[in-house]
Amino acid sequence: MIIPKEIKQKPVEYVLLSLIFIIGFFLYIFTNNSQSRIWIVSGVTFFYFGWSLYHHYKRGDLHTSIIIEYLLIILFGLVFLLFDPFAIF
Amino acid sequence: MKIIYTDSVLKKFLTHYFIPQPKNNHRATVLKPNCLLFLLVLYLLSQSIIKSFTIAKPGILGYSSEITAQKVLDQTNIERIKLGLEPLVYSSVLSESAKEKADDMFINNYWAHNSPQGKTPWTFFDAVGYKYSTAGENLAKDFYNTDSLVKAWMNSPTHKENIINTKYKEIGIAVVNGTLGDIKTTLVVQHFGTPLMATAQEIISQKTDDIVVPTTQTNVLSESDEKLISPLTLSKIFSSVIFIVLMIVLFIDGFITVKNNIYRLTGSTVGHIGFLFFIFLLMIFNQQGSIF
Repeated sequence: MIIPKEIKQKPVEYVLLSLIFIIGFFLYIFTNNSQSRIWIVSGVTFFYFGWSLYHHYKRGDLHTSIIIEYLLIILFGLVFLLFDPFAIF
Repeated sequence: MKIIYTDSVLKKFLTHYFIPQPKNNHRATVLKPNCLLFLLVLYLLSQSIIKSFTIAKPGILGYSSEITAQKVLDQTNIERIKLGLEPLVYSSVLSESAKEKADDMFINNYWAHNSPQGKTPWTFFDAVGYKYSTAGENLAKDFYNTDSLVKAWMNSPTHKENIINTKYKEIGIAVVNGTLGDIKTTLVVQHFGTPLMATAQEIISQKTDDIVVPTTQTNVLSESDEKLISPLTLSKIFSSVIFIVLMIVLFIDGFITVKNNIYRLTGSTVGHIGFLFFIFLLMIFNQQGSIF
């Protein structure tokens, strides 16, 4: 099994990120309140962006192009979720 | 020769956009910022077109719901039986009041327990001559199937309270198609009640098993019974396709760069996959429709 080098080098960072996604997912599906769901998705998204800044800062390659890439991926995910006709928001 | 040339062009195009290689600086072009922006715009444009069609030509993209009053009655009683409660008895009078309520929402274009004209749910009970000692109402719209509808009600404490309330003995259900806020939709109205003068014996004597509830009632605004493509389904399929393609490209991109041990000045592919997978799961598990 191929494990990316970045995970081997910083396992704690990736375990933490995975935990946040898993916790965020379960909180979301067990919450019926739309306001709480917005907070959960916003929280996970901000965490992911913060994680990316820390991750690349520590790697020494925190460049504008990388920040733009993360912002676009986040925007991509949020637009899909917010415009999802089934989303309870 | 021409075919070989075409294949070659197609192969070049596909590898350039989907496979990391020296020519695209070891990053699938689809994952580059300009392409991500393009996909975003494409998605927003498609959603606008679907919505415009739904509003302008409701006959082209309509609403196809699998919900019937019989299924709603069965599912509601299944939930009650699970908790050891008596099943509710179907009441055609309550169904009439539920239908009146749904029609009123379509005619006056609102989505609430109380109408803009000040009508409360009890107005509809009184209008059909249903004398009750206790009564309640559940509303829902935009659901495709009965399972998800009843599940959403059961997940909401106030709606669940109506469904499992031991004070209620009878139920009436209306499933009505129509146009609300310029969008074709299916409204489901549940009216619960206990007749004022009814004795427990009278209610128990009615056998629920043999009752056949009228199937979906169609509002005058629905032009035909033809099975139409739901705009919500279309929108969901389109989102899923774009999302899945992006995930596949990310996986290929990650696999090739890890295998070839390539270092690039890009974001973490593993992180992107994790985040988008999280969003995708939320989209899958999002409940359909809305309840009131």
